[in-house]
Amino acid sequence: MEEKLLTIAQAAEILGVSLDTLRRWDKSGKLVAIRKEGGAHRYYWEKDLEIFSSDLFKFASEWIQNNIEFPSAFYCQNSDTFRARLSKMEHLLMQKPGFEKLYSLVVLIAGEIGDNSFAHNIGKWPDTLGIFFGYDLGKRIIVLADRGLGILETLRQVRPDLPNHIEAVNVAFTEFISGRAPEKRGNGLKLVREVVIAQPIDLFYISGDAEVRMKGTDKTFRVTRGQRIVRGCLAKIDF
Amino acid sequence: MKLQLEKFGTTLISRELGSEAYKAFQPTLRELSGNEELEIDFSGVFTLSPSWADEFLSPLFNQIGDRLTLLPSDNLSVQATIKILQEANKCLFKFKLDK
Repeated sequence: MEEKLLTIAQAAEILGVSLDTLRRWDKSGKLVAIRKEGGAHRYYWEKDLEIFSSDLFKFASEWIQNNIEFPSAFYCQNSDTFRARLSKMEHLLMQKPGFEKLYSLVVLIAGEIGDNSFAHNIGKWPDTLGIFFGYDLGKRIIVLADRGLGILETLRQVRPDLPNHIEAVNVAFTEFISGRAPEKRGNGLKLVREVVIAQPIDLFYISGDAEVRMKGTDKTFRVTRGQRIVRGCLAKIDF
Repeated sequence: MKLQLEKFGTTLISRELGSEAYKAFQPTLRELSGNEELEIDFSGVFTLSPSWADEFLSPLFNQIGDRLTLLPSDNLSVQATIKILQEANKCLFKFKLDK
């Protein structure tokens, strides 16, 4: 699908904010604009606005980037809390028409991403322990985030030669390797990638400045450099 | 011997709990006689993740090999998880066609 670049005026209209607000957000880094080579005008990718305008994503994003507080209903300090909330979501989702079978794959994806945050940061959280876990089954969206070490630093413990976030995220989603060697090799994110490609589930995943966007009917797996740099990991699942 | 996996829970998602389940099952596993098969029944499990299964099914397979038999399941997460475990471990689990 062709990606659409919008002017600042179009972006302001879509988001329902003033031009000055968008300029301020650009300066502060809250919503960074794109500038064409050598130009002064601000532009925005339509897909970035879609992501920005979903509140759950905003809460999670502001938390991991700027440590801004979010409603405690989304906070799971430990894996027990996460599992309990995930089970509740599972129960609700399996009753949703159309998800009688698919629910287990959605829960698998959220479960793997959330569990990874705890498994790879145990005893090593740089500041705040735990994860953001929010979902809106009406909007069919799940957001997960952590202020942990991130994929690059985790995998460098076993692959010190990894040059950057992009390569690290690529390895995490495509190779059987664990950041907790000599423990078992990781296979969770590989399965997440396979399931997202095969099913009507979209994934947006960031760690550092590496982004994975798998969306629509013709999905391919590709890691690109994004506009933002995030602490830890941030994931948005649409289904 | 048949093991109802749901005895360990219906949402089996964490590596930590998969490992605990494996350890907890060891005393029961000792009751398995020489060439007896261990049948894994997935019915009742809502979600099975590769992390949990890698801590439970992978070491069980290493321990008893071909005597580990998986019963069929129509749960999508069970099917996807078994597929990736086979790829990761470069092994083929034995399946029983009927429950």
